[in-house]
Amino acid sequence: MTVRLAGVGYRYAGADRPSLLDVDLDLDDGTVVGVAGASEAGKTTLCLVVSGLAPRTVGGRIRGTMTLDGEDVDAWPMHRLSTRIGIGFQNPSTQLSQVSGTVFEEAAFGPMNLGLPRDEVVTRVWDALERMQIDGLADRDPSRLSGGQQQLVAMAGLLAMRPEHLVLDEPTAQLDPAGTQLVADAIARLAADGASILVAEQKTDLLAAVAQRVIVLDGGRVALHGRVEEVLADPRLLELGVAPPSAIRLRRAAEGAGLDPQALERVTARG
Amino acid sequence: MLVRWIAALVAFLVVGFLGITVVGDFGAETAGDSWAFVAAIALVVAFAVYAGIEYAQTGGFGSIARQFDMRTLALMPVAIAINIILGAAVANALKIPIYLDSIGTILVGVLAGPIPGALTGFVANILWQYVIPPPFQGAVAAPFAIVAAVIGLMAGLFGWAGWLRPRPNSSGTNLIIGAVVALAVVVGLALYAYTRFYGETFEFFNPDNADLLFTILGWLIAALFAAFVIGFVALLFVRRDLTVAYVTVAGMLTGVVAALISAPISANLFSGVTGSGTDFLVAAFRQAGSDIQTATFQQGLLSDPVDKLVTFFVVYLIVSAMARRTKARFPQGERLLEAGEVGPEDEGEWRGATA
Amino acid sequence: MAGSDRLTDSTAHGRDVPVFLGRPGPSAFHRLNPLTKATLATVTAIAAVALGGLVGPAVLVAAFVLVPAAAAGVLGRLLRLALLLALPIAVSAFLVNLFFFPGGQTELLRIGPIVATGEGLELALEILARILAISGAITLFYLTTRPAELVVDLERRGINPRVAFVANASVQTVPAMVERAAQITAAQRARGLDTEGSVWRRVRGIVPIVGPVILGSIAEVEERTMALEARGFTRPGRRTLLWAPADSGVESLVRWTLVLGLAALIAARIAGLTP
Repeated sequence: MTVRLAGVGYRYAGADRPSLLDVDLDLDDGTVVGVAGASEAGKTTLCLVVSGLAPRTVGGRIRGTMTLDGEDVDAWPMHRLSTRIGIGFQNPSTQLSQVSGTVFEEAAFGPMNLGLPRDEVVTRVWDALERMQIDGLADRDPSRLSGGQQQLVAMAGLLAMRPEHLVLDEPTAQLDPAGTQLVADAIARLAADGASILVAEQKTDLLAAVAQRVIVLDGGRVALHGRVEEVLADPRLLELGVAPPSAIRLRRAAEGAGLDPQALERVTARG
Repeated sequence: MLVRWIAALVAFLVVGFLGITVVGDFGAETAGDSWAFVAAIALVVAFAVYAGIEYAQTGGFGSIARQFDMRTLALMPVAIAINIILGAAVANALKIPIYLDSIGTILVGVLAGPIPGALTGFVANILWQYVIPPPFQGAVAAPFAIVAAVIGLMAGLFGWAGWLRPRPNSSGTNLIIGAVVALAVVVGLALYAYTRFYGETFEFFNPDNADLLFTILGWLIAALFAAFVIGFVALLFVRRDLTVAYVTVAGMLTGVVAALISAPISANLFSGVTGSGTDFLVAAFRQAGSDIQTATFQQGLLSDPVDKLVTFFVVYLIVSAMARRTKARFPQGERLLEAGEVGPEDEGEWRGATA
Repeated sequence: MAGSDRLTDSTAHGRDVPVFLGRPGPSAFHRLNPLTKATLATVTAIAAVALGGLVGPAVLVAAFVLVPAAAAGVLGRLLRLALLLALPIAVSAFLVNLFFFPGGQTELLRIGPIVATGEGLELALEILARILAISGAITLFYLTTRPAELVVDLERRGINPRVAFVANASVQTVPAMVERAAQITAAQRARGLDTEGSVWRRVRGIVPIVGPVILGSIAEVEERTMALEARGFTRPGRRTLLWAPADSGVESLVRWTLVLGLAALIAARIAGLTP
């Protein structure tokens, strides 16, 4: 199931300039693609376009084509697209449905909306909770959880809809370090299991850990793209407003100070 | 489609007529509000008839459902919460003779339409009494659900008519016309109300000792009214925004209608007392000799217009502070944008949502 | 679309609905269908108004509020909550009616120009009884029913899921908004906002709190809309319900009896058959 964007541009309602221009992107099965870029570079917009929320829910104007397995999805309503592509957002608490008293019901919200038989809903929810390793939280009140836990609940809710692709818009941006670790680990597990994810992140360390390919946006256009090792080591990253991963920064600092980077890596890898 | 509207109109008239004959006369002075109450009931029945016929014709509620897109549904709980929290705070903590429990209702009405507005008010009042926990639980909210519904309905109609569209840099001529019209409505209503309902209570000149309190109260209210008129004119000409006049009239009208419908409910159920700051006024009017129905109405006719005026201004402020992009996607959002703030046209390959 | 399912590889099937969903209440009354309890509360409240006087509401309260409350084990909490709820309006109604009854003849007490009259006392007691009855009836419902139960029950009976959503979400939004207001208050205090002192100062202190709370909540609506659409809420058609409160033919009969009884009472009242 491949999601393909060809020449996609997007302009928000009332904006004089497009937020995305000429974006080509392929999301294949089993690959994790990272999206990096400075703020306002278009990362969130790209996530909204890929998930279908732009222009369906958000308004605005789009151009170019987006296909799912070769089929143009332009005329697909949002609820149909949501079963194929799921999207998670930055703010953990605004993703809660506010109609669920327990984590279980919260994760069940999506499948319930789909009108699936009850047994199917229950199975999917348990699967999703176990996948996120939060089945122990099933009876807790989602509004009382930490930000990181809430993000895991939100992701479980998405997984319960069994989408083929997952889009995550800066999932750790509003989390404390503990929450960030929690969510990063969960994403890494999903990636290791062969999930298909598009994850936008300022934290390039996270991308280095889970992504196979990375694209870097600048002013709504794709400035860099390729394999994660190449892109994240590219010297142009800084001028594009992106901080390289800490491992790379460490290596460059070591080289600059005249130390042996490989020895340094051996030491830090042990710690 | 015409069938539905005609049927609804017929239902409205039938129920209205029946209602008036059944309810009879509450007393010559307050006959007006019993009619308003009956009108509110008739409105609900007419709506039910409209919906029923639409259902029979099309198997659904399309024209109503269109006003309830996901954005409206996500806004309504927020609006209901604002109603309840502010309303409870004012009623319990601040003993001032206004309510401030309709900000959410009017906000939804203006952004989403009359039906969502009406539903917001209705559901808010029911929830407020039945399921909201103390300390915010309302003790007398549920019977006034229909008043809240009518307020939401009116707000929706004002929004639909574009009354809350900002009109900055209005010409001097427009501002003067606006000021004159608005003041004519407001002062006209005030004078009519005074001669009809308050004339005997408030003697401005030649008081005798027992009525000194009311003379003072009368002068106080007159002074506040004068201050309001001056403030209104000042605001209108300083901001050069003609919408100030529209908002004032909208608030006044909504307040008067709300007073008309809520007075019989309040008087008959609770003898006009609600445990909030308005009770002082009710007591004062009773002391002046008004019977229960009249005293309740006299209080309502003072509190409600002030309350709704303030509320409409607050809503106008809120809507003005909302980003253009946020407002525009609501069902009636386009009617809240300044003239000329139209969305981007489809140019060439740029297309909007088709789904 | 069926095919390989990389994101949720399900190995086990036929799992159970967790027990904590729709957990039954501690007493038989709690376990009544929420619509029954709501009908009971509403009918009692309306009947208290229709009956008038003191005896009628008192009997109603005893039979339909106090007895079930005792059976449900919530009598203590009910008395405390209902009285607290009714207190402001009860005190106000009592005083206003006692002292400010227009046209009262039998003078009981005189304080300056203000007179307490016998007729006023009569009305005051009647309104008091009515308020206590309404308060008690609805508090009993509130104490024995979780809001989600009522909404799910209505949804099962066919109410539009969107209305159900609004009702449920509102109930959860109120405490969330209060918490947000508390956070903003703390933040503003740290910036020097004065929240103690005279009424005027407190009123002025409200604006820097209420403004951000309202605007912040409204700004979130856009995000919430996206999240809800992304979870398929706008899909036409039925939603699945994981659980629903039980109902029975007996309860349905009871509900109808209550409603018809109320209608008969109102008709009798209009026809002048009852005092």
